[in-house]
Amino acid sequence: MPYAIFVPLLPLLAALIVLVGDEGSRQQRGKMAAYPIAGAFLGAIATLWWVATQGPITLRFYDPASPATLAFPIGFYIDRLSAVMMVLISGVGTIIYIYSIGYMYQDPHDRRYLTLIGFTTSVLLCMVSSANLMMLFLFWQVLSYMLYLLAHNHTHPATLDGAFRTFTLLRVGDVAFLSGIVLAYQLYGTFEFQALFAKAADTPVTLSPWPGLEISGATAVTLLLFIGGMSKSAQFPLHIWLPRSLYAPTPVHALLHAGIINAGGFLINRLAPLFGLSSTTLHVAFVVGTLTAILGATMMLAQNDIKKTLGFSTIGQMGYMIMECGLGAFSLAVFHLIAHGLFKATVFLNCGNVIHKARQDPESPHADPREEEKEFSPLTWSTGFATTLLIPLLILLVTHGVLRIPLLESQGTVIFLFFIWITSSQAILTLTRLRAIASWKVSSAMLLTLLFVVFVYLFAVESFTAFLYPNPDEVASYFQAAALPNWLFDSMVVIATILTVVSWGYLYMRAHGHSQTMWIPGWVEGLGFHLYVVFMNRLYMDEFYQALGRAVMRLVHRVDKHDARWTK
Amino acid sequence: MIDPMLIPWLVAAVPLLGALLGFAVWSHPEKLKVWSVTVTLVSLLAVIVSFFRLTGSTEGLLFVVLLPLAACVSLLGQPAHQEHRLAWVVTLVFLGVGLGILTIPSPSGPIALTLLLGLITFLLYWHHDPFWGPSWLGIGTYGLGTLCAGIAAMTDSAIPSLLACVILLPLVPFHHGYVAALTRLPGSLPSFTVLLLPAIGLHRMATVLPTVSDIVISVVILLALSGALYGVIKALAQSRVRLLLAYGSLSFFSILWWFVAAARTVGPQAAVFLGSMALVTGGLLLAWQVIRTRYGDDVDPRAITGLAATMPQFAVLISLLALAAMGLPPFGVFAGFMGLLLASARTVSVAPFVVAITWLAASWYILDLVQRLLFGRKRPDLRYEDVRQSEFASLLMVVVIMFALGLAPTNLFEGAPQSTGTGATVESVSWNR
Repeated sequence: MPYAIFVPLLPLLAALIVLVGDEGSRQQRGKMAAYPIAGAFLGAIATLWWVATQGPITLRFYDPASPATLAFPIGFYIDRLSAVMMVLISGVGTIIYIYSIGYMYQDPHDRRYLTLIGFTTSVLLCMVSSANLMMLFLFWQVLSYMLYLLAHNHTHPATLDGAFRTFTLLRVGDVAFLSGIVLAYQLYGTFEFQALFAKAADTPVTLSPWPGLEISGATAVTLLLFIGGMSKSAQFPLHIWLPRSLYAPTPVHALLHAGIINAGGFLINRLAPLFGLSSTTLHVAFVVGTLTAILGATMMLAQNDIKKTLGFSTIGQMGYMIMECGLGAFSLAVFHLIAHGLFKATVFLNCGNVIHKARQDPESPHADPREEEKEFSPLTWSTGFATTLLIPLLILLVTHGVLRIPLLESQGTVIFLFFIWITSSQAILTLTRLRAIASWKVSSAMLLTLLFVVFVYLFAVESFTAFLYPNPDEVASYFQAAALPNWLFDSMVVIATILTVVSWGYLYMRAHGHSQTMWIPGWVEGLGFHLYVVFMNRLYMDEFYQALGRAVMRLVHRVDKHDARWTK
Repeated sequence: MIDPMLIPWLVAAVPLLGALLGFAVWSHPEKLKVWSVTVTLVSLLAVIVSFFRLTGSTEGLLFVVLLPLAACVSLLGQPAHQEHRLAWVVTLVFLGVGLGILTIPSPSGPIALTLLLGLITFLLYWHHDPFWGPSWLGIGTYGLGTLCAGIAAMTDSAIPSLLACVILLPLVPFHHGYVAALTRLPGSLPSFTVLLLPAIGLHRMATVLPTVSDIVISVVILLALSGALYGVIKALAQSRVRLLLAYGSLSFFSILWWFVAAARTVGPQAAVFLGSMALVTGGLLLAWQVIRTRYGDDVDPRAITGLAATMPQFAVLISLLALAAMGLPPFGVFAGFMGLLLASARTVSVAPFVVAITWLAASWYILDLVQRLLFGRKRPDLRYEDVRQSEFASLLMVVVIMFALGLAPTNLFEGAPQSTGTGATVESVSWNR
């Protein structure tokens, strides 16, 4: 299906339609350019259908066997993963472009902005459909610069500063990525994905960076590539560019949070057979992802700005996605990034309305005037008990017995189920305000909804995994490569469960006015305040990087002065 | 049918003759500029016509094509002012001598190199700043280069030849001449010599490298790695644009030194990398010339802001040049850099970190420079005027050449199969770059 090449080219055509032409037809051209982008979306859907039924599409404009054909090996390899990503990117891109036409109306630089949106969509589509590692890296780098340009309002000093930092930090990741692909080429002699995977599996190489330390070739390559992915997916400690880029127009965030930031997850999935050869890298990914998920979510809770809150929420979610990859659950990560992308794009496109409404109405958002129920309620307690203990058991039984998912062999699935339980319970507890209303109707509706959501989600994920990785042995091999020692994994799950249940209990007691009766050591309360300040200030990471930059520049000027004295 | 031995002489004679005839229109700066540009285009035509009949060399014939192009863009980017007349004529002389050195076999080539270095030393002395120390160091360095090139022409010994190479293709601590040339030479000369001298240096290196001992190579590698870091540090510290570009390119050239010294070969990848780096530095020097033409020679780059809104054509062109200078695809610097990295042997040492730092730091100081010029608020007290036709053509040509160098396969530049008999072997190009 050679027509698939038009999917990444149509947004480029849209960019050209906006860019080329006179001032009088600017608005019309802006609207007209939406059609090619929408066409790319339809084309991506057709490509997905084709790939699902006929198999992967390969289009190469070079000969992999010949050493000197084209300078850059441009080619497209579209398998199910690429096709799914193309549908997501072109779909979100279309919505964002159409939204932007109205949003940027009367902006003096709307032409440049709309052109960049079209161009970025095209770059993203090329990146996810790359036929080889070199082409992927080319578009990966271009994306770093696009983020700098998409800041848009470069006359605003804070925007400019944020854009500069974003580009610099992304370049750190690019350097690691570059080192990874150079090492991969030196070890395996190819950039072609399938050939690379085959050679890495067939010819294990051991490197010795310094005496006494030995590391496998696959681990070295994947670690370097993972650092590249960390920067794009805003993983701790390379996450600070994301909150600092929030001065950009809101639709840019929708595109950023729904498409660009998923690059790390996509990279790991694209190179899954290579990452599957290195347990060390997967464990590192698990640690980095977990840390990012916890810190990102905690920092989100302490922010007082809607965009920053959403930004840190994305960091947390990306941490979760990388953590899933670290557990070998690659398809779950893709499922997660799609779900998160759609959700976050919607939230970002709506947040302008919320801000606008809050400016118009001083009482918005409205505080809930209802008082919490002070009395002990057996109904709410029993519902909580069912939610926290009985439903998880039910989920485990159904998963193990009915869906035949081998839980003991796949820690990734356990973690996934664990998070389904926590997030859905937390969401329903919050939504139905169980703490305030003791009602059988509410309780039963809540439990049924919870069960429905969980099982639909499970079914969807299982189907998606089977779609993306049709070979169950491949999936099992990734889980096996990522498996942590059982004692460690069990301890983590038990500790996390206890902490979650205790937290819910504490919140329930506090909501019902029993906080005075609970004994909490003074130092714990003091620590709580200190931690709040630390997380509100985003762990002082911005200050740390600023101090680091200043220290480097002080050293640079000292050396320069010394040199100037010598040459005088 | 022309004797093949005469072809290099004819190619070199075109610009030299053009320089001589230029004195006929000396009193009309605009005519002289048009004449000089025409001569470079005729030189380019002569090179293209005789391309496959020129003597091949290990680094390929890329520079023979790039030199007339670089001379052309350097001349086009200058304002037609009588102060620049001498620089235009000297550019043509340098072009002729440079083409001669690259294509005419020994012993004429080394003698021409001695003359070239002597001429640059004289020009630097003529334009020196007595209160700026590096100016004297630059004169001294090129004086030493002239001496070494002269000795090498007479005795053909390795060490003086290598010394001449490290002065031409700058390597710390012999870089002062290069820095002085980029900052002190007038008019079109800095943007042309930034390619001319390193290109000749690389060409000579292909002959010298196989003959020097392992100890010397180890010293060169050490100097190259320290030079890369030194260049980065100095570039980060500069507020003056020409110094920043000089030290930035010095750090990249040091990387090139490391690659060729470690491999002991000079292949087409090295030529692509050097040609791209030199051309993009020349392009940025020309872009800075645009600013200097409008706001004076000593203008502080921090005082000029908001050009993206007021000079949109200039903004687009300098942004593309900055992308190329930062090593982003699809420009030649990235292509050459990748070609070098992929052709190099796997090594676990400090060198890859230095290379990575150099590449990363370029994104810092180049972007910082460009964004200071382009963004920020428009100053109401400044009069803004976008690029004129000749300036636009000059910068656009550099961008197009950078694209071409990034996209064209390297084997295109390998030229004729004849060899100069240097003894250096060309490593097979395993990547399709």
